[in-house]
Amino acid sequence: MPELTYREAVRDTLIQAMRSDDDVFIMGEDIAEMGGSMGVTQGLLAEFGPERVRNTPISEMALAGAAIGAAMQGMRPVAEIMYEDFMTLAAEQIVNQAAKHRYMSGGQVTVPVVFRTQGGAGWSPGAQHAQQLEAWFVHIPGLKVVFASTPEDVRGLLWTAIYDDNPVVFFEHRTLYPIKGEVPDEIEPIPLGKARVHREGEDVTVIATGRLVHESLRAAEEAASEGISVEVVDPRTLQPLDEETLVASVKKTNRAVVAHEAVTRMGFGAEVAAVLQYQAFDWLDAPIERVGAKFAPLPFSPVMENFVVPHAEDVLVAIKRTVGK
Amino acid sequence: MATEVILPRLGQGMETGTIVRWLKSEGDAVAKGEPLFELDTDKVTQEVEAEASGVLLKIAVAEGEVPVGKTVAFIGSEGESVPEAENASDANAAQETPSDNLSQALSEQPAVAEPVLEPLPSGNGRIKASPLARRLARELNVDLASLHGTGPDGRIVADDVESAQSGTPKLTSDKLSQAPSVSGELERVPLTNIRKTIARRLTEAWQIPVFQLQASADMTRANALVARLRERDPDVRITVTDVLAKVSAQALMRHREVNAEFTEDAILLHPSANVGIAVAAPQGLVVPVIRGAERLSLAEIAAVRADIVGRARDNKLRAGDLDGGTFTISNLGMYAVESFTAVLNPPQAAIVAVGATEDRVVPVDGELAVRPMLTLTATFDHRAVDGAPAAAFLQTLAESLEDPGLAL
Repeated sequence: MPELTYREAVRDTLIQAMRSDDDVFIMGEDIAEMGGSMGVTQGLLAEFGPERVRNTPISEMALAGAAIGAAMQGMRPVAEIMYEDFMTLAAEQIVNQAAKHRYMSGGQVTVPVVFRTQGGAGWSPGAQHAQQLEAWFVHIPGLKVVFASTPEDVRGLLWTAIYDDNPVVFFEHRTLYPIKGEVPDEIEPIPLGKARVHREGEDVTVIATGRLVHESLRAAEEAASEGISVEVVDPRTLQPLDEETLVASVKKTNRAVVAHEAVTRMGFGAEVAAVLQYQAFDWLDAPIERVGAKFAPLPFSPVMENFVVPHAEDVLVAIKRTVGK
Repeated sequence: MATEVILPRLGQGMETGTIVRWLKSEGDAVAKGEPLFELDTDKVTQEVEAEASGVLLKIAVAEGEVPVGKTVAFIGSEGESVPEAENASDANAAQETPSDNLSQALSEQPAVAEPVLEPLPSGNGRIKASPLARRLARELNVDLASLHGTGPDGRIVADDVESAQSGTPKLTSDKLSQAPSVSGELERVPLTNIRKTIARRLTEAWQIPVFQLQASADMTRANALVARLRERDPDVRITVTDVLAKVSAQALMRHREVNAEFTEDAILLHPSANVGIAVAAPQGLVVPVIRGAERLSLAEIAAVRADIVGRARDNKLRAGDLDGGTFTISNLGMYAVESFTAVLNPPQAAIVAVGATEDRVVPVDGELAVRPMLTLTATFDHRAVDGAPAAAFLQTLAESLEDPGLAL
């Protein structure tokens, strides 16, 4: 099994999809000669040329709209929105257009577009270049939302997203690009709506997304040394949500922690907690704990940034609270 | 002064009701007319509305069977004290003298007093326990009030309940979450009030001397009528059951001795045909009634039938929907049942069992023809109706089905 970084896994998926299918093309700001601000699309211009690796003007609304139009005409565009924060500029097109056309046309029009974007703190990007806005998009019927946390997952999920006939918002995390992991020789598509159990445990389930999957696995390791057995589950697809796997896990462990880097208030974890309390009410032995960023704009100062966003230690504290230690 | 919430009588003959669950919790604000709790009577499950506005001070009966008229809760203003429920208006309850209580309590005292750990008070007197602990306590029959919580803030957690179950093997949560029963294990389905009522009424009905008559009808014209009406007005989905209700009502008016009820000293002939439709609702068999069906058009019957059958399936019938039927139609035609006999629905004197419409070879004008045929099997209370008038009624019914124009 080859080993790829998360960044290489995304690039590999784009290359393989573009080689096997002329309908797939990519567009975005500075993705061609520069290879994208995070270097994900390096080398693609040389292989596929400017027709299929398209630099766009600095207008997220225009590029999102163009991608949606191409998708409605039968292409499978993958549009890169350089920073998750800039998704707010493309929101009109994604929320009011991409998410609605299939429904409003009575199924006559499909919009098979992928919006790749990245965000996340940990490198002092300041308040406008590291937000985690997945909760904005899981709230919109008509969109599928993916947040991959490992090289293997990002490869299999991006492939499925490209070939899904619905618009998919595909979140990547800035600090995960360099992490390495083994991936299957051939791309193995991962169905949307299927969670992954990273670690099995008996006492408490941590449901984590993005960077917090790795923080939670560290916390689980630490908890194990103190005699607490932790199960770590990554939903991977936030919409549709694999409620079955999450609920089954919590029915087994009777305790739950939800963890993400986005602010806790109104976060994706709030919905997970609601699902769990409703479907597993009589199995819960402790209140569901939530881990997320403090309710503040991200500070530029590394010390303050570190204070605002959650880490393994925060997950561990939450785990211990659920078991009353 | 707090207002007592009394268990209401929702229909004639209702003596008790079973409180299924409360829709409000103690301390909740309630407005007059808001649903307060769900009550399972022997006929329907119905939401009971608050008679007064204020705060739900106390729930005296959380769930279970309660006689009509008993105080089940108190509504008043915030902080108001509540009289003990037992003293309130439950005149039937035997009053025990204090000395009786005391001697009883003493005799039940264990020989060696065990130290009892009191649950930590949690402000409003409510016991603080996790949902899992509550469920375990229910299943293991452990009194939460006797436990000492070891969770955060003195919360009773699952471990506390399990360790209180001395002598029984410790149940792991794994075992509990295995929902499907082991194959071969006897499954016990407790009787609901509706199931009990079905059993009681059908047993009563079985005592009545009955006889059955059978007739078949050629449905060619009735089917054409249904098809044509559906074509004309697709919004009103007329069904064969609607035609049956209509022609039954007409036939009952023509043969009023069938639209009858046997009593000890008289036979009552009803002035109107209230046709009940047997519905397989999720909670069991119910028979909502189409009132005055002889005066309704087919479209009106279809609308009423769609409403009551729909609500029966959604478990939203009101007690009034089921009262006053004079005749019942039980249709199993959708199950490819050729014919069957129905058990009488007392106090009604007749019920008709309807089989599937199926193509059969029948003689027509001396030739063999294939026609859509329907078999009707009517059951009659012989105390009220004799064979000849019953046969005349069934003949009218079958003829009206063959030629619905005659009945309309």
